[in-house]
Amino acid sequence: MARVIEYVYRESVVHSLNPLSKLAWALGVMFLALAFNNVYYLLTLLSTVVAVALLGKVLKDLATVFKGLTVFAGILVLLQVIFFQGEEVLFYLLPGHILPVTGEALYMGLAMAVRMMAVVLSFIIFLATTQYKDIILVLTEKLKLPYDYVFMFMTALRFVPTFMAEAVQVRYAQQVRGCPVDSGNPLQKIKAYATVALPLVLISLKKAERLAIAMETRGYGSGIRTYYKEPAITKLDMMVILSTLIFIVLALFLRMQGYGVVQL
Amino acid sequence: MQPLIDIKGLSYSYEQGQPALQDINLTIYPGELVALVGQNGAGKTTLVKHCIGLLRPQTGRVTVCGQDAAKTRISHLARQVGFVFQNPDHQIFHDTVQKEVAFGLQNLGLPRDEIEKRVAAALRDVGLQHLAQVYPHRLSRGQRQRVALASVLAMQTRIIILDEPTTGQDSLERLQIMELVRDLNREGHTILFITHDMTLVARYARRVIVLCQGRVIADGSTRDVLSQTQLLAQTLLEPPQITLLANRLNGLLTPGSEVILTVDEMVEHLHKVNGGSIDGPCD
Repeated sequence: MARVIEYVYRESVVHSLNPLSKLAWALGVMFLALAFNNVYYLLTLLSTVVAVALLGKVLKDLATVFKGLTVFAGILVLLQVIFFQGEEVLFYLLPGHILPVTGEALYMGLAMAVRMMAVVLSFIIFLATTQYKDIILVLTEKLKLPYDYVFMFMTALRFVPTFMAEAVQVRYAQQVRGCPVDSGNPLQKIKAYATVALPLVLISLKKAERLAIAMETRGYGSGIRTYYKEPAITKLDMMVILSTLIFIVLALFLRMQGYGVVQL
Repeated sequence: MQPLIDIKGLSYSYEQGQPALQDINLTIYPGELVALVGQNGAGKTTLVKHCIGLLRPQTGRVTVCGQDAAKTRISHLARQVGFVFQNPDHQIFHDTVQKEVAFGLQNLGLPRDEIEKRVAAALRDVGLQHLAQVYPHRLSRGQRQRVALASVLAMQTRIIILDEPTTGQDSLERLQIMELVRDLNREGHTILFITHDMTLVARYARRVIVLCQGRVIADGSTRDVLSQTQLLAQTLLEPPQITLLANRLNGLLTPGSEVILTVDEMVEHLHKVNGGSIDGPCD
């Protein structure tokens, strides 16, 4: 559970790509996913995303993420089944003709779930194969975003794994004092979790403060920043960005023609 | 005698990489005062975490007070085993020191007056009674460490495990904490502590377990273990300076003589060698 969005060091084509082209790819996947609602189109998109993970040799590392996403996907399907009013009733969730499951709702739910997985996975692959400092570099240098905001955003992301590790430690420390965090009683458990949340917030605040001091002592915000290395844009990068653009235009065209959209 | 902690064939490795513990076999009996030493990353903390069920053995078995630690809820084991973590900030969340120390006792379901009594006693033991009403995060790191210690002491468990209890303390406080540990041991608590300070080991521990890269490389009485200088060097440990000095003098003067652990012992030994006169000339 600890490693959710962390850089995974491997030697691969995907790792060696410029962060910019990987970002373009992830945005392209998002565009394509939103353009269509045909499950088969979306499944094809998802499988290309998985193929990229395979190419980047990070598929195994993302196994836990994948598992977590399937749970969310299941919830999405369930919500559609409950709230979408379809006509073709397949079966009932509860006996006595309560909560009908319609074909349309199931289809909608599946499409949404697959779409969500494709988009989230593509961004996670981007983060898993790109070092944070490189992302910051291209966002500020190439895309001219303000450094402060980029740094803030990336630091927040960077803190997630640390935060998770701290949460485990805090839970241990409270359990050891007999706090029923591991209780089977859900009510007791919820109450016990307050004892985990509070120290966690306090630690995080302290950490943020220390980080701020550390940054200031190293001259953060004192003037124009220079960079040690500049990530080059290779021919391969150009190809990735170009083909992403072609796919987006193609998708727009197909969508206008009415392909890949199912009217329910 | 029934062992309190019984570890058989324990191996453990974290998600990635090398095994942290390999085939550990240990038995700890009631009333022992044990020091666990070894360089950073030797597996000390991993080992003690198994003693309270925070980690479950991948192979082997850990029995604590007759219960299988892997199958018992940690909050239940907490009635038998007290555990002081390295970082006190992981547990502190109340707005006064007093409430912080009382938290564990409330979890045990003790009556109010008993809690008050125990909290006061524990704070007195760690020398923080005058700070009972202070916001814990206002205290220094060393003081917070002692708050964490007090909160475990107050629970009066049979076994107390301390993971580097003396970090962030000055030399006087360090001794105070260790004197306290020794007193607790005399009262009947079984104690297992992790430390890097070999002087403290020599002075207080009665048994020493040396871990090196996930294996126990020495386990015995403090005197025996500290006399094996070369074995200790494997895990980058050095006996206290006074022991080293005594060893050198032994080599020069009386080969095969006994192992000296503390300065007091050295003084006593020198007196003996010198024929009992306190400040007479050495020939």
